[in-house]
This record gives sequence, structure tokens and C-alpha cells, in this order.
Amino acid sequence: MNPQIKILNRKEKKEIEKKTEKQFGIKSLPYLLFQTNKGKIRGYSGNLSREEIQTLLKTVNIEINGIYLFNLEQDGQLRISHDAVSLFKDKITKNIIEINEEQADKFLHGEDIYIDDQETKSIVVLKFQDNLVGSGKLSQGRITNFVPKERRLKN
Amino acid sequence: MKNKYEPKHQFKEKIESILKNKEDIEKYWEISRKGIQRSIRCNTLKISIEELKKRLESKGWKIKHPFKDNPEIMVIESNLQPGELGRTIEHLLGYYYVQEIASMMPIIALNPKPEEIILDIAASPGSKTTQAAAMMENKGTIIANDVKLGRISILNTNLERCGVSNTIITRHDGVQLYKRLEKINMKFDKILCDVPCSGEGTLRSSPKTFLMWNEKVVKVLSKMQKKLAESALELLKVGGEMIYSTCTHSPEENESVLNHLKEKFNIEIEKINLPIKCRPGLAEWKDQSFDSEIKNACRIWPQDNNTEGFFVAKIRRLG
Repeated sequence: MNPQIKILNRKEKKEIEKKTEKQFGIKSLPYLLFQTNKGKIRGYSGNLSREEIQTLLKTVNIEINGIYLFNLEQDGQLRISHDAVSLFKDKITKNIIEINEEQADKFLHGEDIYIDDQETKSIVVLKFQDNLVGSGKLSQGRITNFVPKERRLKN
Repeated sequence: MKNKYEPKHQFKEKIESILKNKEDIEKYWEISRKGIQRSIRCNTLKISIEELKKRLESKGWKIKHPFKDNPEIMVIESNLQPGELGRTIEHLLGYYYVQEIASMMPIIALNPKPEEIILDIAASPGSKTTQAAAMMENKGTIIANDVKLGRISILNTNLERCGVSNTIITRHDGVQLYKRLEKINMKFDKILCDVPCSGEGTLRSSPKTFLMWNEKVVKVLSKMQKKLAESALELLKVGGEMIYSTCTHSPEENESVLNHLKEKFNIEIEKINLPIKCRPGLAEWKDQSFDSEIKNACRIWPQDNNTEGFFVAKIRRLG
């Protein structure tokens, strides 16, 4: 079996869901969850059973399962992925920071942005108008950009 | 001075040997030198067709739905700046996929359903995988396979952008994949075998194909396509459906491959209903004649539909 991919059991999934609810207000994750040895948590919504996937893992080179949702950070927080933000756009209720057009433009080009809040230290979701446009890490008023390089606007 | 994208003499001869009719040949060359219309496919996993249309029209874009039964397919009739389609926030958020209309036809023919297990044997860059996932509402399962890591990375980026979560990406060549899956007796309800090809159908969006094309490559590709399609068919359930498709006009890469499969497997090549004009697969070409069922395949010509060129065939495994 691919040693880099672990299928989370019910208890482990519950632990992740506790964190997603606490951090972002996301109460449930309707996926079979996988965790890689680098802490990435991916979700699979298909109809193969846990056992069938385990058999597949032993048989073929599986590069990627499902979609990248979160990264379990060293401090125990979950970093929500760029694409999970739009996937859970109707479920995210916490740690949302509204930004203006100029900030959104900078953010989508891959720049960090700055806000007045010097106190909060957490993973945040950025909202521009009706769109949740991505996520970042807020610390000392600076939101570190998590938009993947290949997905940034170029000009 | 000679146009740098002037087709090679052998290529001209080949197209003329397939089309035969002088007026048709002229129309083919005329449209092959014109740019392609801009088409997108709404990603219904993330946004409704109405909402996307509203958002794009608010940019001043004129949107047309060319097919009543496939409203997710949209043509942008406004003049856009180069690259503009890929720079919008809607594209960034995965609300649409920039995809040429002819290349949407294989998945329309495959018609994947939410409960099915599907194999996309040469999946990168993911236009057809994302289209299938949307039709399956992120249910069922797609095994999206490709052979090179670089191509898998592109595939994954597109799947993630479109919010696709019912997919497992594997890395094997077709023969290897078949041998491994055979060990666990895994078979598929439906398979997309959209093979790497010489790209003769993509001249409008990629005129460099005129330069790169050569007969040797077509022969090499034909051999590889036969192997890949054979491996794919081995993985299809009895009664299951496979779409064999290419973006090329070469009979060596199309009818000849189907003929090979027909000789080797108990299969039927079925008629397909697509929303664009199709011409039947060839019954003969040069000194070769092909199985009579191959006429059920669909040749998509750019001069018929104002699209790129494509070849689509639906194969059912009988035993």
C-alpha cells in the first residue's frame, strides 16, 4: 500500500470536523478523508468503499485521491485550501475577512495584504463582494497569501 | 514569401484523399486558416448556468447557447482581449472551463451517470474529466489516468479548480494499468479512450500543427493508439461502453484503430447522437476497406460546425 496515504477512520474524521467547525463553522465533511504524510487532508466523494480504495492503493500507483481540502499545521490549526474555500462557500461562517476591490486584486495576484487587526492570529477566509476568493494566514495585521502560484492572476 | 504555416504537400494530399469533393476541400482550407470561436463550459459543480451567464453578461460579454439540450455550453460572441477568458475571477474560481466545442463531444457521447465507475485512460489536461465529473455530480468514481508526472500535475490543478472530488488519479501507461487492474478484476461501466494524436483537427487554434505534422509520426501514433485502446477495452465490463476519440482526421488513427479492435474483440460500434453535424466513419481509404460498422463513428469536420476537427466512436463490449 502507498505508505504516504492514510484513510482516516471515523474517530479521526470527527477530530477534523471538530476543528473545521471551530475554525470555519463547517460542521460536516461529506467525504472519505485521506491524510498524506505531509499533513494534507483530501476528500473523496465517490462511491468506492474504504476497502476497495485500500485494494486499489495496493495495486496501482495512486498519485492523488479526491480534492485537497486542508493542511494540518504544526500548531494544530487547519489551513483551508484555496479550492476548499469555494467548495464550502455556503458553509463557512467564521474567520471571514471582507476585502475591497484593490485588496482582492492584489490578493489574486499573489500578494500579501494588510489590515488594521493587529491582535488576531489565525487562518482566515477572504471575501470580496459575493465571492470567497481564497485563504491566508493573519498575523500582526498581515494576511499571508495562500493562492497557489499556478493559480495566481498574471497581469 | 511562403506562409510559415503552409501545410505540407503530403498533408494536403491526405485531406484531399479523405474529403474528395472539391468544394468541400476548399471550405476546409478556408476555415482552417480562421481563428476559432471562443467557447466555454459552465462548471455546474460550482455555479448554475443562469448565474454564470448573468455574471459574464454583466462584464458586457455577449453569450450564446448553441445547443438547446446542452445549455452548459456557451459561446462568447464579443471580441475579447487575448487571454481575457482565463483572467476572470469566474475562471479563477472554477466556474467555467475554456474548452473547444468539438472536444466536448466525447463526454456527451459517453453520457456518464452519477452511479457509474468510469476510466479516463489518458486524462490530462482534464477538460473531459471535469466535464464527466460535472455530469456525475461528483458521485460515482472516475479513475483519471495519465502517464507523466508533469501532465498529472496539470490535470490535478484543473480538477481542483473545478472542485472535482470523485476522482482518483493514477500514473501508468495503458498496458501497465490494465495488467495491474486485471489482478484485482476491476472493470469499468464506461471508459473514455481519448488518445494522444497527431492533432490535425486543431489547426485553427494551433496552426503550428501544420509545421509539426509528418507521416512517420502518424504511423507511430497509430500503433500506440491501438495498444492503448486494446488495454482500455480489456478493462471494460461486458455490456459497457467505451468512447474512442481523437482530435485528428487521419484514418490511420481513427478507422484503422477501430478496425483493429473489431478484429480482436467481440464489440459493436454503435451510432451516436451528438448536437453537431457528424459525417460517417470511412468505409474505405486508399487501398484499405474497413468494417461496415465503422460508418457509425462520427467524423467532425471544422467546415461543418465552425469548430475544430474531431473523431468520436462509441464501442459496446459484447463479450
